[in-house]
Amino acid sequence: MSNRIFILGDRAVYAAFIIIVLALPLLVDDVFWLNRIAKYLVFGMLGLAIALSWGYAGILNLGQGLFFGLGAYMIAMSLKLQSYTSLQQGSDKPIPDFMLWNAEPGAPTDLCCITPGSWLWIPFQAQWFGMAMAVVVPVVFALIIGSTIFRLRVSGVYVAIITLALVLLARLLFIDLQPVTNGFNGLTDLGWLTIAGIEFDPFMVATYYIIAVSVCVVLLLSRWLISTRAGLILQSTRDDPNRSRYLGYDVASYQVFFFTVSAGIAGFAGMLFVIVSEFATPTYFDIAFSISMVVWAAVGGRSSLIGAALGAILINTIEASVSESEMFQQAWRLIIGIVFVLVVLYMPRGLAGLARDVLARVVALSQRTGGKDSQSSHTAAE
Amino acid sequence: MFEVLFIGLSLTSVLLLIALGLSITYGAMGVINMAHGELVMIGAYTAVLAGIHLGFNIFLSLPLAFVVAALVGLLIERVVIRRLYGRIIDTLLATWGVAIILQQLIRLEFGLTFFGISIEGLGPGLQNMRVPTFMMEPFDLMGLSIQPYRTFILCVTILLTALTWYLVYRTAIGVQVRAIMRNPQMAAACGIDVRRVSALTFAYGSGLAGVAGVLLAGFRTVMPDMGATVVVDGFLVVVVGGVGSLLGTILSSALLGQINGIVSVFSNDIIARAVVFGVVIAIILWRPRGLFSFKSR
Amino acid sequence: MKAALTIEGLEVDFGGFKAVDSMTTVIDDGELRVILGPNGAGKTTLMDLISGKTAATGGKVHLFGRDITNRPEHEIARAGVGRKFQIPSVFRDLSVLQNLEVAVSHEPRVFRNLRLGMSRADRKRIDEVIDLTGLGAVLDTLAGDLSHGQMQWLELGMLITQQSKVILLDEPTAGMTQGETSKTADIILRLKGTHTILVVEHDMAFVRKIAEKVTVMHLGKLLAEGPMQTIEADPAVRDAYLGSGGLH
Repeated sequence: MSNRIFILGDRAVYAAFIIIVLALPLLVDDVFWLNRIAKYLVFGMLGLAIALSWGYAGILNLGQGLFFGLGAYMIAMSLKLQSYTSLQQGSDKPIPDFMLWNAEPGAPTDLCCITPGSWLWIPFQAQWFGMAMAVVVPVVFALIIGSTIFRLRVSGVYVAIITLALVLLARLLFIDLQPVTNGFNGLTDLGWLTIAGIEFDPFMVATYYIIAVSVCVVLLLSRWLISTRAGLILQSTRDDPNRSRYLGYDVASYQVFFFTVSAGIAGFAGMLFVIVSEFATPTYFDIAFSISMVVWAAVGGRSSLIGAALGAILINTIEASVSESEMFQQAWRLIIGIVFVLVVLYMPRGLAGLARDVLARVVALSQRTGGKDSQSSHTAAE
Repeated sequence: MFEVLFIGLSLTSVLLLIALGLSITYGAMGVINMAHGELVMIGAYTAVLAGIHLGFNIFLSLPLAFVVAALVGLLIERVVIRRLYGRIIDTLLATWGVAIILQQLIRLEFGLTFFGISIEGLGPGLQNMRVPTFMMEPFDLMGLSIQPYRTFILCVTILLTALTWYLVYRTAIGVQVRAIMRNPQMAAACGIDVRRVSALTFAYGSGLAGVAGVLLAGFRTVMPDMGATVVVDGFLVVVVGGVGSLLGTILSSALLGQINGIVSVFSNDIIARAVVFGVVIAIILWRPRGLFSFKSR
Repeated sequence: MKAALTIEGLEVDFGGFKAVDSMTTVIDDGELRVILGPNGAGKTTLMDLISGKTAATGGKVHLFGRDITNRPEHEIARAGVGRKFQIPSVFRDLSVLQNLEVAVSHEPRVFRNLRLGMSRADRKRIDEVIDLTGLGAVLDTLAGDLSHGQMQWLELGMLITQQSKVILLDEPTAGMTQGETSKTADIILRLKGTHTILVVEHDMAFVRKIAEKVTVMHLGKLLAEGPMQTIEADPAVRDAYLGSGGLH
């Protein structure tokens, strides 16, 4: 009985989320706000990806920014080549402006060899290639990293530290490969995404819908994934990997699969973020950013996909609302710090857990007779 | 070659100072303290503030920073960490929150900014600690150019390492710390006041961070987020060395410091750090428990 | 009779110490075998070797004629060996029903498990197990909230759901009350014949209730093997147990 209420409540939250996200352009007139919200929806996707690996697989990835950043750079390369800043020299062959600045005197003005490694950009002249790579590259990296880590049965804190070190490594490499990545400054002044001749200006309702629909689809797909038996087995490996092994499951392959899915989502999110924000910089590889994602997921609820997504959206929206004055912004960061400590100490299941407990209380009150409800809540049903 | 080794050696000593405190808190208590870097930062600010308002020089600032950082550490232990023993990932997350809080308190001058009050030496800007001029002028010793400040750091590091070793291996409280390291439940059953010893251990580790902060302030700009980068380096040292192994921490900071120093001579700082990260990842994969370790919590 | 599990000269060397040493025994299909031995005799290590938790340094383990020595744990499990641990090992944050659902899948691979719901055959098997273990009233309870006895039965139930041909039970009644022990004995007796069962147990009352053939280990080696009565009269066994006061 009470289980059904939880499932219904869960579905209601998903439905409400999707309806609000899709109907938002009707309510918000300001395209600048719509653009901001699109960014926060992308962050919501990142929170969801963290919940998938941390909440459901027990893999705390403190380097999720690696996959986000890779996805971002891949599409940014394509969009950079479409930008007017790449055609400034009156040539019909696009060359990113920073490559011209970085080129050795006398280097041929061609993508093949203007700077060392500039040939890597050649296939990105096709926008579809950049889009595809934004997901493929993070997925391939995650497969390699995941297979190595999980086959060696590295777990817990060590996964966190390795992923942390990896994202820092990536940050340094992207900064150091100045001739290919424009170093510290990253890729800026990007062109717009163009599909079937339509240019998607980041401040356009249609662009908002690209993000909104993507987020909803990813949310539903992830929910489906964790409701499958594979999702259940994954959760079993989180609780007791040895028991899963003795039931005949190759634990590593489940961990690698979901780690990779989570990375793919992060890469996809990176691509969407570049489409609405028009830049890609090494700050995506900052530790602070990767840990922020974990903070969002923790506040929203690490073992609830939609909770984690809402946590990310909520925190960022509030942050944007208080950011008018520098002082308030600093104070907000202080509040976030305090809230985060409190959540870890007293509310490890986050807002989603709180919502469940409240619902359980309501159900118990309305039933009066049965008192076993709060116990039997299904964490897995989300 | 000596020059290269000396660069590596001074990198090593800074790394070691930072890692020493972490090694104790992580090794003895199973706490990943992401706010360790902020304790370093607090040590640095203590020196800056004491210099401006009390006229302290670096020698007076060192013990003061130790005490201040230790007290802050004690507070963190009492309020946050005490509730999280045995939940290592949660300690990492909660102390990350603590780190943000500490940074913001410095930026907002403990909230005084809201009342329009400003204290010299605090706030979001950059600060500097004055180092006595005689420590900045290199002198010649047997044909080698010696930088007094770097040598001073080295000496303090050696001194503190020796002190730590003495405390851990030669005192009654050290025995208790090591007992808790191996088996906290059994230690408690043997009548050790685990809570008190843990709190003291954490305070001591925090104090070391404060000292490291003062020394760091001598050659780096002091700013609210200066701790964020050092904490990661410290952790990598501790993990590579092996949790709970003092010797491991010393050797791994030497290893990583030297790799960093040598590679940066032949290429650049960025590549050097990248190589260090690569080596660290490889070592964790090869020996997840670190180069020198015993089985613990 | 067909052999389910054949152990030939199995040994493991932990840096000079042989926890299991040239152990040889054959367990027939459908047999219930109890392994006895004083502490440190190598009983649990023997189970670790069979189930792949520890790699053997010598000897062979065959499961229905197939060599499973030193295969990865999940492959050995797939081949038909189920294992119950001394400390109950269940998925604490999943419900009882979900625990059984994890156990029921015959598909080890990720992609084959990307589907919703349970087939009718799976559901039927789970229902049988629920019936056998008497967990019907707590299906929606999180496994971590079960009583100690219920947790043990759930773990046992998962092994049955998994359709293991050979079940290894490491002290299944440890920490149980008298009533719980007797229920556990009932469950095990009902499995006799359809499953091959290997039990390590200290509780002699329980052993007498379930045992047919007994293997006694001492210092990693086979000491004696035979029906319960013969074993209890064996002087070598009495000697081995002298330190712990003999079989009682």
